[in-house]
Order: sequence, then C-alpha cells, then structure tokens
Amino acid sequence: MKFIKNDHLTPELPDFFQELAGKRDFDNDVDNDGKIGIPDVSRRQFFKISGIAGGGLVLGLAMGSSPKAKAQSAANLSTISPYVQIQPNGRINLFSKNPECGQGIKTGLPLIIAEELDCAWEDVDVVQADIDATRYGAQFAGGSLSTPMNWMAMRQAGATARAMILAASAQQLNIPVAELSTSDTMVMHATSGRSWGYGEFAELAATMPVPDPATLTLKTRDQFKLLGRRFTGVDNHDIVTGKPLFGADTRLDGMLYASYTKCPQIGGKAVSFNEDHIKSMPGVVDAFIIDQFGNPKVFNPGGGDIFSGVAVVASSTWAAIKAKRELEVEWDLTDAEVSSWSDLVARAYALQGQDGEPLMVNQFAGPGNPPNRVSADKGDATRVLANAATKLSSFYEYPYVSHAQLEPETCTAKVENGNVEIWAPAQIPQSGESGSAVLLGIPAEEAAERVVLHQTRIGGGFGRKLANDYVFEVVAIANRMQGTPIKLQWTREDDMSGDYFRPGGFHSYSAGLDASGNLIAWQDHFITSTGNDQAPMTSADINPNVFPMDVTDNVKLTQTMFHNAIPTGPMRAPSSNAFAFSFQSFMHELAVASGKSHVQFMLDTLGDPRLAIAENPQSMHTGRAASVISEVARISGYEQGSSEPGRAKGLSFYFCHSGYVAQVADVSVSANKEVKVHKVWAVADFGFIHNLSGAENQMEGGIIDGISQLFNAKITFENGVIQQQNFHQYPLLRMPQAPELEVAFLQPDEFSPTGGGEPSMPPVLAAVTNAIYNATGERIRKMPLYELGYKLV
Amino acid sequence: MATLNINGQTMDIGEIDPSTPLLWVLRDELGLVGTKYGCGIAQCGACTVHLNGAPVRSCQIPVGNLTDQQITTIEGLAAADGTLTPVQEAWIEIDVPQCGYCQAGQIMSATALLRNNPNPSDADIDAAMSGNICRCATYTRIRQAIHNAAEKMNGTAFYDAARTGETA
Repeated sequence: MKFIKNDHLTPELPDFFQELAGKRDFDNDVDNDGKIGIPDVSRRQFFKISGIAGGGLVLGLAMGSSPKAKAQSAANLSTISPYVQIQPNGRINLFSKNPECGQGIKTGLPLIIAEELDCAWEDVDVVQADIDATRYGAQFAGGSLSTPMNWMAMRQAGATARAMILAASAQQLNIPVAELSTSDTMVMHATSGRSWGYGEFAELAATMPVPDPATLTLKTRDQFKLLGRRFTGVDNHDIVTGKPLFGADTRLDGMLYASYTKCPQIGGKAVSFNEDHIKSMPGVVDAFIIDQFGNPKVFNPGGGDIFSGVAVVASSTWAAIKAKRELEVEWDLTDAEVSSWSDLVARAYALQGQDGEPLMVNQFAGPGNPPNRVSADKGDATRVLANAATKLSSFYEYPYVSHAQLEPETCTAKVENGNVEIWAPAQIPQSGESGSAVLLGIPAEEAAERVVLHQTRIGGGFGRKLANDYVFEVVAIANRMQGTPIKLQWTREDDMSGDYFRPGGFHSYSAGLDASGNLIAWQDHFITSTGNDQAPMTSADINPNVFPMDVTDNVKLTQTMFHNAIPTGPMRAPSSNAFAFSFQSFMHELAVASGKSHVQFMLDTLGDPRLAIAENPQSMHTGRAASVISEVARISGYEQGSSEPGRAKGLSFYFCHSGYVAQVADVSVSANKEVKVHKVWAVADFGFIHNLSGAENQMEGGIIDGISQLFNAKITFENGVIQQQNFHQYPLLRMPQAPELEVAFLQPDEFSPTGGGEPSMPPVLAAVTNAIYNATGERIRKMPLYELGYKLV
Repeated sequence: MATLNINGQTMDIGEIDPSTPLLWVLRDELGLVGTKYGCGIAQCGACTVHLNGAPVRSCQIPVGNLTDQQITTIEGLAAADGTLTPVQEAWIEIDVPQCGYCQAGQIMSATALLRNNPNPSDADIDAAMSGNICRCATYTRIRQAIHNAAEKMNGTAFYDAARTGETA
C-alpha cells in the first residue's frame, strides 16, 4: 500500500498557504484500498442517523466527494455511526474515531466536538468508535495527523448538532431562534431569563433538517471555552483503577491463548517441530506450523503478510509460553536474511568522502508508481564547495532501533463461518481488517461485511503497531481453531527480535561557508539499506527537503544502498528521528567554524521569513522556525552559557510533520564521561494548542524518548539474527535519569493545529550532543553514546 | 484446591501448575487484568503488585509459593465504594498517563513508597521508582504526582491495611 505523506497541510490554511494549496486535491491521497487518505472536509455532509432508544439526536458524518458516494451513504443512513448522541437526560455521548495509543486523541477529538456543541465537558461521556471506513473515513494513529485531519470535521460535527438543537428548541418553545443562545449544555432565552437542558429538545432535534455546513457559524478562537485549556485523559480513572482497556486485556468466553514462534534468522521457514512433545505438555490444546504469507520482510500494514512460525494454542498464556520455550524447530533458511550490522558499518566507513548514486525516492512507490531516480541537486555544490572560504566534512552513524512499546504485540480473533472478528490494539486498524481479508481469501468487496475489528486502547504505539503482523498472525491461528476465540501474546523477546525496526544509516557530509560564515553549499552522501535493490527499505529513504538542504542554494544529495532486508518501518518521526541527530550536529559543527553563535548561525541560515520552497506549501516556513529558535534561546538563557566546568547548554531545531520544535539541553559531563542532563527547554509551534495538557505530555515524552535513544538504544544483527532480546540488553531511560523539563508553545493566530506526537522528539538528540561538545570539546558523530564510553546518570 | 488471598478476598485458583507466575494467574485465571505483562524478567515493573505490603514483580513469583500471603493488586487500592487513594487521585489530576500501560505498576510502586515514607525526597522517589519503566516517559509527571499525593496525605497513612487484609 501507499503510505500517506507525513507532512500534509491542514484543510484550514492560513491565507498565504491557501493560494498555494489551492491546486492540491486531498482526495488524491486516498490509497489503493480507499481507506486511508485525507478527505476534503469542505465536501463532507452530515446526515441524521436515527433516534436512539428513548429518543435523542444522533448525527453521523458521511464521507464521499462524488454524488455516487453521497447517494450510497444516504441509502445506508441507518448504518452510519454517530459522532454525537444527545440523550433525553442531557448526557452526551461523543464518539472518538481514531485509535488511542497514548497520544491523547480519545480526549482531544471529542473536546473539539464539545466546544462547537457548546456543552459542558462534565456532561460528556466519550465512547471509542468502532472501525468503519464508510462511517468515519480514515481511522488511524500515524503521521501526527489525527488532529489536523479532523480539526474542521469535528468542529462541524459539534456545530451541526448545536444548530439542530437550537432549531428544535425554537419550535418546541415557540420562541424565535434568534432570541435563543446556548451555553454549557443549556439553551438560554435572555429576554425571559429562562434556560433548558439540551436533553429536553433531543427528541425533536432528531427530526430537524440537517443544516448545510456552509450555513454554520463556527466559533472564533476568542470564543472558545474549552479549547486551549488543560484537560486530563478521559480514560485516566480506568487506568489508575486497573480496568480492562488494552488489547492485552481482551477476555472472551471460551477463549484460548496462543504463542507464536518465528525463526531467529529472519525469514526462515518452519519445516517441522517436536510436535509430540509440545502437544503432550499440560494445558496445550494444539500446535501447528503456519506458512509464510506474502513478503513480511516489507512493512505492509494491509497485505496480510506473516512470517512462517509455530503456533501453540493452550489453556493459559503461561502454558503457551512454557511450550514455546521447549519448542525445537527445524527451519528452512533458504530465504532467511544473512546481513550483519558490523559488516554494513565497515562497508559504510569505507565510503567516507565519496559520492553515491543519484537519490532514489521510494516514498510513494506502488502499483503504477515505480520508484524513480531523481536528482535532488540544486545549484552547483561541487564548484561552490571547492571555492568555499571554509569547508568541513564529517561522517555520522546511527543504529537500528526497536520501538519497545511497553505492551508487547497482542491481539484476539475469532474465525467462524467465513467471518472474522478481531479485537486489536492497532494504529491502522482499517488495514488490519483489509489485510485479514487478503490473508483468508475474502474478496475485498465482502471484507467490510465479513471482517469486523474492535479497537482497543493501545499500550504504546510509536509506529510499531502501524504494522498489523500480529493481527494477521492471530487471524491465521484462529482460522485453524474455527469457532474458538484466540488471544495471541508475543513475549518481549518476540517483540524485540521481531520488530519493523527504525533503520540505521550513515551520512557523509561536506559543507561550505563563505568568508562571512554563511552556509553556501551542502553535500550529503546518504548510506542506507534496500531489500529489493531498487528502493530503500521503509523509513530508510531521505527527503531532499530536510533542513538545512531546503534553504541552501547549492545542494548535492547522493545515496548508496546496501542489500539488507532486515524489516524496517516507521518509528515516531520516521527518518526525522535519525536525521535530526546528524544534520543538527553537523550544523553545530558549521556554526562553530563560522565564528558566529549557534543561534545566529541558525537564524542566518534560515534567512528572511518565507516558505523554504516557494512552490511547496508543505515546506518549512523560515519565520516560524526562527521564532521557536529565538524563543528557546531566550527562556533557557542559552547565550549566557555556564561558568561551571564541564557544564554547558546545547541547541537544536527540527521541522517535521508540519511542526516546528527548538530545544536546549543543559548538561554536565564528568571526567569519567558520566552525563547528567539537568534540564531541557522546548519551544514548539504546532499552531493552535487545543488541549494544553495533552500537548505538553507529548513534548515531555518526546524529549525523554530522544535522550533514552541517544544514550542506550541499539539493535544489531549478525547473519540475519537480532542480537537483543529484552530490556537488559536494550535499556530504556528510568526515573533517576529524567531531566527537569520546561515546555512552551508559540500559537500564532492564523494557524490551526498540527500534531505534536512526532515532532516533539527529534531535536533533543543533537541538543544533548551539542551540549556535550560545548562542555567538553568532544564532537559526537555516532550513537548510541554508551558505545563511546558515555553513561547517562 | 489452591486459594490465594488477593485484595482481602480468598480466591480459588483451582488445580494450577504451581510454577505459573502470579502475573498470569491474576490475568488469565482471575480476570484481574490491571496488572500488566511487559518483559517477563523483572526489568520493567509493569507487573508490580504488593506481597504483604511490599512491591514485587509478579512475573517472577510462582503462584505455588503464595499460600497464606497477602496480595494486593491495582484493583484493590480504591475503597469498596470507589473512593480513590491519594496516589490514584494525584495521577488523574495531573494527567500522568499517556498510553497508560505501565501506570498500574507505577502506582503500586508509588503507593508502597508513600506507605513507608509519607514525605519522600526526589532521591527517595528515584530509588523507589527506578524499577518501573515508562516507555512514554511520563517520569516528570509521576514524580510530581507522588509529591502531590504526599501532600494530600498530609503526613498521615492513607493505606488501609484492614481493608486489604495486609499486615504491615
């Protein structure tokens, strides 16, 4: 499938973007199965669904940009799921469409509806919506897109319901609608001083005509009562009392438990196993081999692809795990991976200072859209570099990284009479449905009917659960155990050795400064991996618009691809999570060479406020970038430095997912390389912040995530076998190492919200390494830092 | 037939393999799914419960050893009428959870800390909480929530030993 672009613009655009974005048809972003895309909100229409028991208003949002699609939706009104239910007792159910993986969207989207509905948040119960593309359009957690893609639609959903309640109240009270207003789930009549709860009009409201969205008046920012404040997570009470919420918590009558064991050498296929012994073990109900389906080395959320392995079905998770530990499997290694990270490292360093091939862009490759060799070059970097007053070259390395979300992959499924029911903690559940249909041979046109997926809360995503391999595995197991619900539980070892990893890579940089210390040329030879010798693995590609290449006149970008199909996939801020470290460390090298302060060098590189690429509305706005850099320097006292020996601040900035983030780290380094990160300041521009607590949480988590990766995260593979299995070999940052954090948001009036989950993380890695340089003079060009003798304390 | 004392109640766990870790008995046999599996090797703390009032990793404790022991899980913290403990209240009020998967274990560790030390310093918190990983990295809010809970307790013990049947 085609993966959606990360850096799309919100449909509600500021004026100077509006014109540029005019030609863009968001419907073109719908992928082949039509389930993931960016709908054009202006073409949405709300439909009244049906009354609910006891009367009440139910509103659904029908999708579709063509008359045909609208007609189909209209014909199926009774099946359109609601966003808003207003009950006669005044309680309001708001449905949250997208998966919740810790990004706070289950709170964030209903808040937007509630604002325009003009109801009190205390009167709201949030309900997780089921998966249904025909009712909800795209439902996924990825690309930091949930808020920007749904911002306008959720506002319209709330405003539509409010308009219908007002119309109903006017009719029921026999008062002109112009004399009525709303506030806190109440209809008010100023003349008489009377007021009524929404619930009193819910039944009549359900019979009112649905207003044309064009007639709705949305609130202005100064009229917001809810948005912009701090709201706590709607599931918090259930979380702190241990209620069942997560995928792992699914329990069904008659359910059995499964483990699944794949070849340690990735891609090996199970031939036979000690079946008699395993089946004789207590609690084991069945054990069998499952064949490989598709090409699971490639990240493909909707393909149904799974690796071959041995399933054990048992009466408890523990029985399934115990049997797994006693498995003796004969593997066919014909198609197994043979690559080794140590080998790739040696070959990469041998290429230092050389150019590679012209860039290969694969990001949107797919059927009918083959990867193309494109030149990303601008100007004449070779000539300008040769004549530059100052020239610097550096080589950077970063490793494979595991997502390590705390809930190991788990999913529950039941297959019966040709139908599939799934309970999944999945970031792209719609692809989990369509891929399950592919796996079981269910025709695509029957998939919506025959495959039902219930979304559960996700115990950490970070991009790992964009892949649906664990969903497809349990569907395959349940298909063998017809009629019995099966819960698959991966062990941590299964997770860490069976990830779609953040790919490692290398950059051989050269850059030139003029006599005034200004950046005039940039060269990057990007060294990465390919599984098919045509295009890089998923998230192993490079975009020629990475800062500062987007604002530099002379750029030469080349690439070398090593054959290596260790599975890779998106991890929080794909590619940016690695590029920010190397690009922004090298930028600091250049700043030092320029003789300017780091802040001044960054501002000079950004130049005048403008779109970095005039014809590309998704490109960075240099003015917004400069603002976050200047502000983080101000609040952190960056320019003042430190008088304490071995202590210094470091700065970094990155733009991705339409978000602007600058961070400063205050770091001490001891003589024996113990590093204390005292404090990190962050200033972000994500447009308007509609839930301050949620946005701060994403920023706080992103910063510590980045520091954790910088010091300790490294996955290696030897002859296709992942070497790390659990947290003792892949340590995560813990409480004593967590720095103090200070987070601020710039919220320029003209920008609607973009997502903060991903852009919060990338800059901090270079902020810390630049601080270590400022404290010690040692430049760090490789991560993780433990390999260089540093220890985070 | 084996029984366990969990959250002040005697619970029948049938004829179970005595090597089964308490974690899986809680989750699969008793339906107490608030206690989470994260690593299975006592590295992450997601499975933390109280054994006779002390925080332990339930993935490492064979259920066969637990007769006559008092076990408390996340489900046993709030009072029967639903009243939350100061730790649970503080967690909600300052919006600690992101994904929330580790938070039961975090709350069990924090509850045990405050039981023994009603006014912990940051260093005390570091020591008591270093066995619990939060992959979403809510550490700064966990730290603040523990301080807030300590203030709510106002120096008095909130942990109701009588309710859970534990002895200090």
